[in-house]
Amino acid sequence: MDQFDGKDIMEIMQEDLLRALKKPRKERRWAMAIDLKKCIGCHACTTGCMSENLTPPEIHYRPVKEEEIGEYPNTGMRFLPRPCFHCDSPTCTPVCPVTATYKRDDGLVVIDYKKCIGCRYCIVACPYGARSADSGHYFTGDFHDKTYEVENSGEYGGNFKRKSHWHSPIGNARKCHFCIHRVEKGELTRCTTTCLGNATFFGDINDPKALITKLISKPNVFRYKEELGTKPMVYYIT
Amino acid sequence: MKLFGVLIPEKEQLIGTVGDVIKGKAGLSLYASIFGLLIGLYAIGSIFIRGHAHTINTSSLVPWGLQISTYVYFALLSTGCTFVNFFGHVFFEKQYKPFASRIVFVGIITAVAAFFSLTTEMGHLERMYYFLLSPNPKSPMFWMAIWYTCYLIIITWEYVNIQTNRHSNRVMWAAFFIAVFTHSTLGSLLGSVSSRVYYYSALMPIYFLFIAFLTGCSLTTIIAAMTVKQKKLDENYHLHPFVTLLKVGLGLALLITFWRMMIGLSAHLEGSEVFSLTLINSVLFGIVVVIVIPYILLKIGQSANWLIFVGLFIMGTQLKARNDLVVGAFKIPVFRVYDMPEVIHYTPSIYENLVVVASASLVAMLYIVFERSGVFEARNIKEEH
Repeated sequence: MDQFDGKDIMEIMQEDLLRALKKPRKERRWAMAIDLKKCIGCHACTTGCMSENLTPPEIHYRPVKEEEIGEYPNTGMRFLPRPCFHCDSPTCTPVCPVTATYKRDDGLVVIDYKKCIGCRYCIVACPYGARSADSGHYFTGDFHDKTYEVENSGEYGGNFKRKSHWHSPIGNARKCHFCIHRVEKGELTRCTTTCLGNATFFGDINDPKALITKLISKPNVFRYKEELGTKPMVYYIT
Repeated sequence: MKLFGVLIPEKEQLIGTVGDVIKGKAGLSLYASIFGLLIGLYAIGSIFIRGHAHTINTSSLVPWGLQISTYVYFALLSTGCTFVNFFGHVFFEKQYKPFASRIVFVGIITAVAAFFSLTTEMGHLERMYYFLLSPNPKSPMFWMAIWYTCYLIIITWEYVNIQTNRHSNRVMWAAFFIAVFTHSTLGSLLGSVSSRVYYYSALMPIYFLFIAFLTGCSLTTIIAAMTVKQKKLDENYHLHPFVTLLKVGLGLALLITFWRMMIGLSAHLEGSEVFSLTLINSVLFGIVVVIVIPYILLKIGQSANWLIFVGLFIMGTQLKARNDLVVGAFKIPVFRVYDMPEVIHYTPSIYENLVVVASASLVAMLYIVFERSGVFEARNIKEEH
């Protein structure tokens, strides 16, 4: 297990999370940091997320981009996991005509599954490709006889089962929500706990004592496509 | 105010038309449009019953496809009819008068047909009431809905005025400006999306207005040419305004298409390589086929039959051009992972194509039924008396 200041990273983040949950919601600011030096491109976060949120085919809340860098003989691989960045100045929320997607006071950009009309304007508007359209595909085809395909994933603390195309989340836009249904129960996000290299950090950046706040204050930190002005809340450590 | 026989056909006429259809005397065009509408309704029903996964080829990578481009196409047709109605009344009053009610009516039914296509695209149509319950005034789509509602009301009012011989210049001007606001808002829906370089442009609302004018001119030219033939009017006198407006429309379309292409090619933003990728299509199809060839065709002849052909040519090529516009923004994925290709290809499914057929057939069928019933002549008969 990795350590920070002699203490286990997961334990530190768990303490940070529980401390943040004691504050009023509007005083929290959830963010994520991903250490690219530690990411080994195992895709455990991708599959962990899929199993946590029971996402259907072609929908990945957290894909990992693999890039070959350099030229032979000086080549290497770079892995870039991309969850939703929960931007501070999102391009997706202003375009939703029915306010189904909005930024919460704790910084999360969420989708109200009961309001989303499935116009997909937010999917078009996202510059990171972080949103997906759930058209109703199943891994098991037309008869989707596997329970996990129609089971309630608990997203947003709700009871959304993919029973038919008349029931959300089918027909909706979907995306990473920082496992809000876990976080509000005091559990770290699935990708954070699944990460084999302990490369993912999650916490409240309004808390000066939080591990993530200390990590992102270093100069070797960048945000993806920061020039777009979206102010993403996912930081990459190089 | 009398409804039957003035705004809509007389009951006897409608019953007679149904009787003609059953007896096989309705004419090929009406049968073709009824058949197209039936198979289109089958496709729409399949989409609603079976769901998008089994019927539609849009995806997270291509969220907007043929249904959105068809909606845009019919919305532009409707706007164009309103523009032609305005310019026809203002600049060519006497020559335009026999066609006014027909053109405004087609403006209404094309606006309705646009929604045929849009309804099949939505993931949850039954939640549209949230437009009223939790509207987002920052969203261009919200404003598009507001303006579209105003637009439908005003052009219906214009139609009622024309049919009841109470044509009002104020309503006509209002219809014109509301059409401008509505369809420039539709253009801004694309133009304000900064994440898609193919859309993002201050030119987009103006592009939509200019293309609407051209597309509307082509449809109204067809209507005018068919009416001239049917009523044996003076072709040169009555069709000259439409030829003029078509040429202006082609000029405006050339201007805006050229500059949009040039500005896109000069961009150094991420994703702007899509303009280079689509350059050959933009030049050969978007300019030569869609604009230059129709202009040459107009120079060749201006008889009623030839103008019907030119109008259909422009309308057909504009439908493909709309699809190229809407889908073009998704050719380059914004975040390429796994086995995503470098260039995304999209082919509409048979159901999506049949939705287009449904929309076009609806317009054709309603127009033919109203034309057969003589409801457009009711105004002229009143004038003579």
